Amino acid sequence: MSSGTDVQAAVTHQVRRRDPVPLGAGISIAVVGAVVLAAMNGSYLGLTVTTGVCYAIVTVGMVLQLGYSRQLAFSQSVFMGLGAYGTGVLETKYGFSSLESFLAVIGLALVASLLIGAVVTRAPGLALALATLLMPLFIFQLATYSNWLGSFAGINGVLPLLTGADYTATLVRSGIVCAVLLGIAAAIVLRVIRSGVGLQLMAMAEDERLGESLGISLRQRRLEVFVLGSVLAAVGGAAIGSVQGLVTPDILSETAEITLLLMVFVSGRRSIVGAILGAVVIEYLTTSTSFISTNIGTIEGIALLVILLVEPDGVAGAVDRLLGRRTDQWGAALRAWRTKALKTRGTGPQGGGDGAGNAT
Amino acid sequence: MSQFLNLLVAGLTSGAIYGIFGACLAVWFRVCNILNLAVGDFAMFGAVGTAWLVQNAGLPFIAGIAVDLAGVGLAAWLFDWVVLRPAFDRGRGARGIVGVFFYTFGLSLVLEGVARAWFGTDAWGAPQIWPGPALSVLDFHVQRAGILVFALAIVSGLALWAYLRFTVSGRAASACGESTLGARIVGIDTAKFRRRIFIATAVLAALFGIVESPLSGYTYASGPVISLIGTVAAGFASFRRPGRAVAIGLAIGVAESLLGGYVSTSYNDVLLYAILFGVIIFRPEVLGLGAEPA
Repeated sequence: MSSGTDVQAAVTHQVRRRDPVPLGAGISIAVVGAVVLAAMNGSYLGLTVTTGVCYAIVTVGMVLQLGYSRQLAFSQSVFMGLGAYGTGVLETKYGFSSLESFLAVIGLALVASLLIGAVVTRAPGLALALATLLMPLFIFQLATYSNWLGSFAGINGVLPLLTGADYTATLVRSGIVCAVLLGIAAAIVLRVIRSGVGLQLMAMAEDERLGESLGISLRQRRLEVFVLGSVLAAVGGAAIGSVQGLVTPDILSETAEITLLLMVFVSGRRSIVGAILGAVVIEYLTTSTSFISTNIGTIEGIALLVILLVEPDGVAGAVDRLLGRRTDQWGAALRAWRTKALKTRGTGPQGGGDGAGNAT
Repeated sequence: MSQFLNLLVAGLTSGAIYGIFGACLAVWFRVCNILNLAVGDFAMFGAVGTAWLVQNAGLPFIAGIAVDLAGVGLAAWLFDWVVLRPAFDRGRGARGIVGVFFYTFGLSLVLEGVARAWFGTDAWGAPQIWPGPALSVLDFHVQRAGILVFALAIVSGLALWAYLRFTVSGRAASACGESTLGARIVGIDTAKFRRRIFIATAVLAALFGIVESPLSGYTYASGPVISLIGTVAAGFASFRRPGRAVAIGLAIGVAESLLGGYVSTSYNDVLLYAILFGVIIFRPEVLGLGAEPA
């Protein structure tokens, strides 16, 4: 028994060592994001995209939490607020540097999400949704009425993640740091999804009884997902506060939660790339032309309904399906061409294939 | 004593609002296992739409109410036809826990956006159905609209409870939520019940918005918060018991008012939500939500 376990552990270790995808994806996302933001050179569009990248850190965590594990928790805006306010308070009231406050906020979010998650994840599906729906309501009001947190005006003077010679250089450097953070977040989430834990989460999402019968500790896995999603939300919130230099109660309101949900559901709740693009595009739309920003609710509502009806996996799901069909067509055309070419040469299908590309 | 009574009446009025929206949510959830997160937006359309029809389009008050309610009913029917019918009768689109929340969430966003484009960002209040000054007995004051709100909540809650408990149609409606397939096998038209009750609760919410709006006023953005509080009230009634949702809503309103009167006017909502949050977390069995809907 022990030997079997050892073998399994060794195989798992081998698989983990040979899985280059999360690292490659994380580096790609960080590099592409950094290059794009550097090319924007601190323009207004650059500020919008940088803010979108910060939101994307949150939505990447939501892919694991809502999309992959189907954990219906609506507390991301609260942890986003925790990150933003935590950074703001530590820097403006206690003189922390941006790096110190950033690390402190990660620790704070970890402890807070462990404590909160330990109780909220005990609740079954709809009760968890209901409990976490209440969190933005009372935390928002708490921040709104608290003089210590700056009341309605919030906290001004939050330090940037990386300071440059002037505003433009500061924005570009902060943007690059945000892109790197996003790459790390995406790599972590991908790593979890592609691991044995990811398989367990998938089984739980399909059927909790099935998961339980497979020996999965449902409470532990639920808690881990909640903590990871919440910490990433706090990191995203801290990044938003640092990029904007200001934290207001709006960041932890139910409206912020709604925006996050739309970023994930419209673009594709199971796709990391979809969640990143969704965050950037929706952040861009909300600050673009006055017509779009005024009617953004209607546009998002219609888009959400169409996507739920036509392609529940969002735009990313639709693109995947289209690409899948297209590559199938290309594959079929290639096989047909190969068969025809072989017949023309008079050789015909032989050896290890049947001429249609299928191994015999 | 008079302060307590005034707080109690204020709490019962606001609680009636939570309760009736909770009841609307609960009765429809009982039929089709979907949360109507647009119920607050229907109330907003009732209040703002009627005020707009009377003040801007020059319609008489009663005609304004009739046109507005007909419009809300039509919007609900259209949503059922365009979205819910393909999703739940023809098996297209997202189902499960996503379907429970997000179809009506999308509707809520659309209604809010349309209201903003149509009515602007001003606060609106429909004319009073029972006009006149507040009724006073010694130091005890109560708004006439508040009495109507409370009475409408009690009557609606009792009517919905009696419908589900004592009528064949109500039992058939409940059967739809228990098992859609089973209900269809015994000849119950589940789509018809889903559609009718959705339209009826939308119109009821709009009527409630009209009656209540002289007290608080509505803007295009009033809907989501109302829906959220209604969801909480319905949640404490297992999402399935409209009568109990009204009672829970009243209790929430009274607790909110007393906390505001005796503890803190700023933090009363914070305390209330924190208490509700604590109850859900530490005693989830009070919700009666052992299993997720199919």
